[in-house]
Amino acid sequence: MIGRAALIAVAFAISAVAIPRASWCGVSASGALSIEATLEPDHVAPGEEATLTVQIRSAGLNLPDVGVPPLPGVAVQRAGTAQNFSMVQGRVERTSTTVYRLIPRTEGVVTVPPLRVSVGRDHAETAPLTLTVSRASAPRGTAPRPPRGGATAPAGTPEVFVKATVDRPRVYWNQQIVLSLKLYSRVDIIGDVDWKAPSTTGFWTEGLGPPRQRRVTLNGVEYAMMEIPTALFPTRTGTLTIGSAQMRFRVARVIQPPDPWSMLAIPEVVPQDMSLTSDPIKITVDPLPPRPPPGFQGAVGDFSMALHVDGPTARAGEPILARATIRGTGNVSTIRDPEIRAAGAARQYVAGTSTRLDRSGDRLIGERETDIAFVADDPGAVVILPVRFAWFDPEARRYRSQSSDSAKVQVLPGNLTESLAGRPTPGAPVPAAPRRARGPFGRLTLDPPGGSAALVGFSVLAYAAAVATARARRRQHRDPRFVRMQSLDSLIARDLARAKALVAQKEPARAAVLAESALRAGAGYRFNVDVAGLPRAEMFGKLRARGAQESGIAALESLFESLEGIAYAPPETRSADAKAAIRAVSDKLGRYRRDLAR
Amino acid sequence: MTVARRVRLALATLALAVPLAAAGRAGDTVTVAEKVTTDARADAAALYHAGSDALSRGDTGRAVAFLLAAQRIDPRARDIRANLAIAQARAEDVQGAAGRERVSPPPGIALSPEEAWWVAALIALAGALVGGLAALRRAGRGLFVFGTVALALGVLSWGTLLLRAREEQRHPEAVVVVPVLEVGPAPDEQPRSPYLLGGGEDVRLGRTHGDLVEIRVSGNAIGWARRSGLWRVADAARYTPAESR
Repeated sequence: MIGRAALIAVAFAISAVAIPRASWCGVSASGALSIEATLEPDHVAPGEEATLTVQIRSAGLNLPDVGVPPLPGVAVQRAGTAQNFSMVQGRVERTSTTVYRLIPRTEGVVTVPPLRVSVGRDHAETAPLTLTVSRASAPRGTAPRPPRGGATAPAGTPEVFVKATVDRPRVYWNQQIVLSLKLYSRVDIIGDVDWKAPSTTGFWTEGLGPPRQRRVTLNGVEYAMMEIPTALFPTRTGTLTIGSAQMRFRVARVIQPPDPWSMLAIPEVVPQDMSLTSDPIKITVDPLPPRPPPGFQGAVGDFSMALHVDGPTARAGEPILARATIRGTGNVSTIRDPEIRAAGAARQYVAGTSTRLDRSGDRLIGERETDIAFVADDPGAVVILPVRFAWFDPEARRYRSQSSDSAKVQVLPGNLTESLAGRPTPGAPVPAAPRRARGPFGRLTLDPPGGSAALVGFSVLAYAAAVATARARRRQHRDPRFVRMQSLDSLIARDLARAKALVAQKEPARAAVLAESALRAGAGYRFNVDVAGLPRAEMFGKLRARGAQESGIAALESLFESLEGIAYAPPETRSADAKAAIRAVSDKLGRYRRDLAR
Repeated sequence: MTVARRVRLALATLALAVPLAAAGRAGDTVTVAEKVTTDARADAAALYHAGSDALSRGDTGRAVAFLLAAQRIDPRARDIRANLAIAQARAEDVQGAAGRERVSPPPGIALSPEEAWWVAALIALAGALVGGLAALRRAGRGLFVFGTVALALGVLSWGTLLLRAREEQRHPEAVVVVPVLEVGPAPDEQPRSPYLLGGGEDVRLGRTHGDLVEIRVSGNAIGWARRSGLWRVADAARYTPAESR
């Protein structure tokens, strides 16, 4: 029996030493010094904090201090220290309570090593404490917090945390998203919360008023919640990210006195600075559907439009104010003003635009007004044409449009018009008088008349033909054979014609001489040799050398002799012979020309 | 081949080529229906009277359209020029663009399109005759150069007029005849702010899309507008009282 009790005692002792706990109290051998460490909670998520409270009690005036060594992967912050002094029945006792904040960064098990204190020969130490860091909510064994407001906090519920949420993760371009940055707290927050807005690249941002505070219950635990709502309007499509928001504040941490009889049992209040960060949020932004209606200029939301005109009448020269008002839920600030037009107005001016936003609700609501002033110089009517406004309704997932009615404003004579009525404006041009006759007549098209096209075509072709002909001529004139042929033509046309004339004038001798000269020159042209002034034999030799045939030379010699005979024959026989001889010369020269032309 | 035979051959070629050149216009894209309406000879006086009547009624858009058409036929007429200037000035006053500079042709060389065609053709003909004869007769080189330059000038002028005619066929000149004409995007285009044209504004037309026509200003398309708010200048004669009857 004793053995069994001893075994249980030993097992308890081993477990007390070896098994880490969330709370441990160590007492020195004399009992004059003790140290107690409490870790609460002992199960947190990364980034959340656990509170390590170290209480040292010492009998006597000496009170040792203790520090928490650096822990891997854990930020250790000393939040504050409270000391107490008591004297009971002549015995002095001092206590000190030090609070540490442990903020683990990664998941795992963190072991707080034993904390040791010494006073003289007295030593006391705590057992190792363990802190489980996990995202899974598996609280275990933590002491429940004292009920607050009647509610009991389940184990593991955080005292303070921040949470960022959006009302919808998938929206259309320029559709409103409400980002709520919420700070939940079960402890009192001292002073104001200093918060850093998240980065919202790709969004148009509109704040929704000051932070709102209320009490909420989460999982049966009552929290004080501060909410900072913001309206976001995506300006790009695709996946956008709302960054992390950061909140800095100071909480009042209440530390119960170790001795309920000390200092009238008033708990200590230790201020503690805290900084929390929200998680980033991804938003999927879809583009607007295709084929927007006419007049759509990018408004997305739920809107309505109204047109208001000053009154049914106005005076010439005075402005007529038309106001288009667009109200609704959406990004009113970026709505483009609708076109307000009028018929019959001489001038128009933009009188002003204004935007009013209501940030008090859960969503951004606004109103935009556009004022256009129309001025008519003359009496008559000004018609404010229908104003059209189109937008995309993301809830219905379709485009909507609204068109106002036209408004007619009667323009009465104004002071300026009345004063100028009946007399022309000085310096104004006077229209010309009507014509008395008809015409001129003409075509209104710019097409070319057919005749002009033909004329231009003819001109170009004629010019081209003339130039081509001239060039061909010049090319011929550069040909020596052609030149000789033309010289033969000249002999026939000029010299032989003159010889015939001389025969007709009863001068056959001169005609024969002229014909002989022409024949000699023609033979030279034909065979391309200069025979002018040469004796007949030498001439024939040169002609023979240039390819003249013997028969041709004989005929030529016969012609020369007949011409020579005519020159010396009796006058009464010369004329008939001269005609025949000249005809023979002409035939000979004609043959020469044909030879050259081949 | 003698020179005379070559000349005869050239003339025969010309006789064949001239009708072919004139027939070259058959390739134009003007349809028969368009030619029926646009080739009719219009009366400048009727257009002038219609424009003046519209001007007196304060209908500046129609006044500008009629008077621009009348000016095409009779560009040197002082009365047409005067009333057109008044109509355009009133249109600009209404549009609030009174300070805009308007370019008007100098009166001395203003020619109607038809006159311009014939002048260019006659210059080309004179140049061809002078240059061709100078080449054939072996006259002075200066005379040949003068004729060639004159021919080139005439042909270039004719070509310029042809380009203008082509542009008129593709993008006819038109005038806004309603007080305000909204020029917006086509139904299948991205939305954008509408552009407003005032009555009397001179634009050019492009493609058509149902009841809409593309509006072009300074060579650029600015949007689409209703056809009913525009009159083509070439069609202005159809709206005169004489034509209506």
